[in-house]
Amino acid sequence: MKKLYALTAVLSLLGIADALYLTIEHVTGQTVRCTILSGCSEVLSSQYAVVAGFPLAAIGAAAYFAVFSLATLAVFGYTIAGKLLTPLVVAMFFVSVWLFYLQAFVIRQFCQYCLFSAAITTCLLVIVVSLRWFRPAKH
Amino acid sequence: MKRILPFIIILVVLGAALTSAWYLTRTIPASPNPPVNQPVNQPAASPGSAQASPAESQNPAVTGVPGAEPAHVHGPANAPVKLEEFGDFECPPCGIFHPILKQMEEEFGDKLQVTFREFPLVPTHQHALPAASAAEAAGLQGKFWEMHHMIYDNQNNWKKEFDVRPIFEGYAKQIGLDVERFKRDVGSDAVALRIMQDGKRGHSLGVKGTPTVFINGREVPFENLPAEKLRVVIQNELRSAGQ
Repeated sequence: MKKLYALTAVLSLLGIADALYLTIEHVTGQTVRCTILSGCSEVLSSQYAVVAGFPLAAIGAAAYFAVFSLATLAVFGYTIAGKLLTPLVVAMFFVSVWLFYLQAFVIRQFCQYCLFSAAITTCLLVIVVSLRWFRPAKH
Repeated sequence: MKRILPFIIILVVLGAALTSAWYLTRTIPASPNPPVNQPVNQPAASPGSAQASPAESQNPAVTGVPGAEPAHVHGPANAPVKLEEFGDFECPPCGIFHPILKQMEEEFGDKLQVTFREFPLVPTHQHALPAASAAEAAGLQGKFWEMHHMIYDNQNNWKKEFDVRPIFEGYAKQIGLDVERFKRDVGSDAVALRIMQDGKRGHSLGVKGTPTVFINGREVPFENLPAEKLRVVIQNELRSAGQ
């Protein structure tokens, strides 16, 4: 259990780094150069990159930080933190699915940083589901 | 202590993240992409943004294989500053760089020669190749730059469309081309060959994205493409040439 929570914390650190980078790109007005493999310019400059005036990437960074905090607390035995982790990660996963849909069918461009974030969220979901299913039985 | 430790770890990570964000927002240079609603030819506000480092703009000169001939050149052959852009008509930063380059041409006049090379990013941009073909087809009738300007100026109007051919044919009509010939030329081997030759030149120079700009054979770093920095790079080149 502890190892899985620790893994969750490490993965969320990667998510923080990724989301923070995208936030800085957004805030500084820096647009990633167009390349053969990246559609980041299109994705980051789209109307979906901002929610209620906040860069979506900043909201993502905050969400990853929340996951990191809860997972860290869970590692140290705060059981309530472990319980809160599941709904948060599930919500993040559904947001990631929605963003993937936007990239694939609306913007029709993929940004590798956004895909990396989606991959992390998917891994987080797999871990928290595992934690739920494989919880040791109480005696 | 064990009960407090996770909170200390969380605070350390929060502090590290905020410090990194603060440091990077101060050090990342302004891009050619200005904030929304700011005219693209106005310098983006950024500390020290007009300081185009001479060291950064002095990458080693490269030659590469020749591109399509005759190249699309604007400006006198004896201009002391020769700028070569590899562009993709559908790329947003290229669209933003377009008015910046026009501004530089106006400011430096006969001292600046501009060459445009096709570098459509396929398959990232689905309309990049048709756009490049339209510009090259217009070039066969001597109106490359007119079509080039038309396509970039209207980038946001056509890039989301499903079929861009009728739009480009409309542009061809607007700039006074023989539209029937334009339609034939768009799919011709001559046009495809020019795009391929420019692409080969780009690859030989190590071009991996757009816009990529070379001045007198040296690549200008992407962060030096905002107007206020590009101006300094050009001025440095003029100074080196004794102008």
